[in-house]
Amino acid sequence: MARLLVQLKLRMLLNALRASTRAKVSFIISTIIAGLLAMGTFFILALLRGQAAAVDETSVVLTVFAFGWLILPILVFGLDGTLDPAALSLYPLRTRPLAIGLLAASATGAWPLANVIGLMGVTVGLARGAAGVIVAVLAVLLQVLFCITLARFVITALAGLLRSRRGRDLAAFLVLPIFALYEFFIQVVPNAAAQHRLGAASFAGVDRWIRWVPPGLAAHAIQDASTGRLGTALLRLVLLAAVTGVLGWLWIRSLGRALVTADTSTQASQVRGAALPFARYGLTGTVAARFLIYQRREPTSLIYWGIIAVVMVVASFRVVTTPAYLGGVLFAIGLGAAMTGVFHANSVGVTGPGFGSEAVALTARRELRAYFCGQNIALAMVGIPLLALFSFGLMAVAGHPVDGVLALALGIAALGAALGVSNIFSVVAPYPMERRIGSPVRRAAEGYVGQSLAGTFGSLLGVGVCVIPVVVAVELTSSATAVVRMPVLAAAAVVYGIMLAWAGQRIAASAAEPRLPELFQVAIRSKL
Amino acid sequence: MSTPAIVVRGLRKSFGQKQAVAGIDLDVEAGCFTGLVGPNGAGKTTSLLMMTGLLRPDGGMVGINGIDVWADPRAAKAIIGVVPAESQLFDRLSGEELLEYAGRLHGLPAGEARSRGAQLLSVLDLTADSKRLVADFSTGMRKKATLGCALIHNPSVLFLDEPLEGVDPISADVIRRMLTRYVQSGSTVLFSSHVMELVEQVCDHVCIIDKGQIVAAGTTEQVRGGKTLQQAFVDLVGPRTGQEEGLPWLGSSSS
Repeated sequence: MARLLVQLKLRMLLNALRASTRAKVSFIISTIIAGLLAMGTFFILALLRGQAAAVDETSVVLTVFAFGWLILPILVFGLDGTLDPAALSLYPLRTRPLAIGLLAASATGAWPLANVIGLMGVTVGLARGAAGVIVAVLAVLLQVLFCITLARFVITALAGLLRSRRGRDLAAFLVLPIFALYEFFIQVVPNAAAQHRLGAASFAGVDRWIRWVPPGLAAHAIQDASTGRLGTALLRLVLLAAVTGVLGWLWIRSLGRALVTADTSTQASQVRGAALPFARYGLTGTVAARFLIYQRREPTSLIYWGIIAVVMVVASFRVVTTPAYLGGVLFAIGLGAAMTGVFHANSVGVTGPGFGSEAVALTARRELRAYFCGQNIALAMVGIPLLALFSFGLMAVAGHPVDGVLALALGIAALGAALGVSNIFSVVAPYPMERRIGSPVRRAAEGYVGQSLAGTFGSLLGVGVCVIPVVVAVELTSSATAVVRMPVLAAAAVVYGIMLAWAGQRIAASAAEPRLPELFQVAIRSKL
Repeated sequence: MSTPAIVVRGLRKSFGQKQAVAGIDLDVEAGCFTGLVGPNGAGKTTSLLMMTGLLRPDGGMVGINGIDVWADPRAAKAIIGVVPAESQLFDRLSGEELLEYAGRLHGLPAGEARSRGAQLLSVLDLTADSKRLVADFSTGMRKKATLGCALIHNPSVLFLDEPLEGVDPISADVIRRMLTRYVQSGSTVLFSSHVMELVEQVCDHVCIIDKGQIVAAGTTEQVRGGKTLQQAFVDLVGPRTGQEEGLPWLGSSSS
C-alpha cells in the first residue's frame, strides 16, 4: 500500500510536468522555491554555529516549520489527491496500511525533501562531535516525521469540515493572518533589524516556552548530545518519538472514522432578516443591497477588505512616527483606496455565473448605469468607514489626529477614482476567474494573467493620476489656517471623488450596453 | 392555429473551426410545450443562448412574440424567462432574497417582488428553506429556485435548458406540474432535455437537433411516427457506439 500511494504521488507530480504550460511553469517554480528554501534554511541554521542563542533560534526555526506543515495543507486542501481520505474510501483498504501509505506519500516530493535538507543545517550550526551529528540527523528525521503526522492528523480530522461550504469559508480566513505575517516579515522585521531593534539576542530565552514542545525537544536533544549529555538527548528524542506515535495513533483513529463519516455540508446556516435592504430605492438600491450582502457573506470580499487594512498599516509603518508622517499616511490611505479598485477591476468575472441572472434582466444603458452605481455605493459604504478609521487612527498614532481629515479627503477622492476606473476595466478587459478545488482564493483563469495584471496596474496607475490634483491642493494649502483648509479640502475631495466615480460608471455602462453577451460569456466561464 | 411565439430563421454559430449551430429554422406556436432534444454537443444550449440574447449569433434572426431579440434585446428580455443548464444563482443570498432580487431586476416593485417570491417559494416547496443560503441548497432546490427566478416577472415565453437534470422525482413532479399549468394558461415553453420519456410525456411538440441542424420537428405524434420517441430519436440521429462486444469479461462471474 505504501509503495502504491508513493507511486500515485510521484505520478501526480510527474503529470504536472505534462499538463498545460502554466501548470508546468508553476510546478518548476515551486520546485525551485523548495530548493531555495532548502539551501536558505540550511545556511541560516549553519550560521548559528557558535552563537549564544543558537539553541533558542533553532527551536524557533523548527517551530515555524511545524506551523507551516500545520497550516499549508488546510489552505491547499484538495490539491493533493492523496490528502483527502474520502478519495480512497471506495477501495477495500484496511486503516493501518492505508495510514502508513498516506504517510509515505506525504513524505514524497520536493517540499518534504527540502525540509529534511534545510533542517540538516543543524548538523553544522548546533551539533558538536560525532554523537551530536548523529543525534542531529535523528532529530531532524523525527521532527519532519512529527510535522507530517501532525499535518495528516489535522487534515484528516478536518477533512469532513473542509469538504463543506462552511469549512471552506473558515479556511479562507486563514489567508488573512498569513498575509499579515508575510507583510510583517518582509516589511517590519527588516526595518526593525536595520534599526538594531531585532537581533540574535532577541530570541534569547524564547525557548523557555518552546523547549518542551516537539520542535524544542529536537533542538535541545542536539544541544544536549553536543555538550556530553547523551542520556538526556536520547530521552528527549524518545519523548519526541512518543509524541509523534500518539499523534499517529490519533490520526489512524480519525482516519478510520473519516472513511465512514459523512461531511457536514448538510448543516446549513439561516439568514436573519426578511428582505433585501434598500430594495425599495429602485434598481440602484437593489443592486447595492446585493453587493453589500456579498461584502458581508462572501469570505473573499472580507479577505479583500482585511488585506486593504493590512496594506494601509504596513505602508505607513516606517514613517508614521517620523516627521514625514503626513506623506506616508496619505500614501497609505491612497493605496488602500486604490486596492479597492484593484480588487473590483474585474467585477463581472468575480461575480461569475451569477451575473447570468443579471444579464437576462439588464440591457439598457440606464439600467447598466444603475447597476454600476449600486455596486459603487455598496463598496463605498464599506470603504469610506474603513478609510476613516485608518485615516484618523494612523494620524492619531503619528500624534496629529486632526490631519486625519486630510487623509480621509484624499482617501475618498482616491476611492471615487478607484471605483470609476474599476467599472471601466470590468467592462473593457473582463476575464474569467477560477478557484482551484479546495483553494480558498480565486485567481485569473488560465491564459488571462496578462489581463489580470493590466487591470491591477491600470487601476493603480489610474488612481495615481486622478489623485494628483488632491495631493497638489494639500501641498499648496499647507500654510492656510486649518479651520478653513480642512473643511474646504474635504468637501472638494468628496465632490471630486463622486464625480470620478460617476464618470467611470457612465463610461462603463456605455461600453457594456453593446457588449452584454460577451460579458455574459466571461461570467459563465468563471469557475468560483 | 395560434401565431408563433418563437420564430428562428437561419440561426448559426461557429466556435473556431467547429460549427455548433448550422443555420436552424424553427417555429414554436404560442401556448405550446416544445421539447428540443439532441445528443450531447448537438447545439441545444448554444441555440437556446442565442434565442435568449445571451450569445451573439454569427447570423440569422430570432423573434419572440414579434420582437427581434437582437434588434431590441430590452423588449425581448422583458417577456422571456430563462432557466440555464448550469446554476447561475447568487449563492450567498437566501432563497427569499434571491427571488426578491430577481423580481426587482425585472422591474417589479419591492413589495410585489417580495410577495411573488414568497408565493413561488411556497408552490416550489421551498418555504421551509427560504432563509437558508442558496450555497447550501441541493441540486433540486437550486433548479426550483432558478425556475422561480425565471417565472417571477410572469414571462410569456420560458426557455429551459435541462431543467430536470439531477432533480429528484418529487421535485421533478413539482416542476412538471408547474410548467404544465403555465402552458395551459397560454404561455409558451421551449425546453431542452435528454430524457425522452419526459419529453414524450409533457411536450405536445418536439424538435430534434443533431450536429447543429434540425433533423425533425412537429407534433410529438408526428415525430414519433408510431414508435417511441426514444426509438425515433435513435433512428434519426443514429447509434454512436456498437463496440459493446469488446468487453467479454463484463457481467460474467469470471474475474
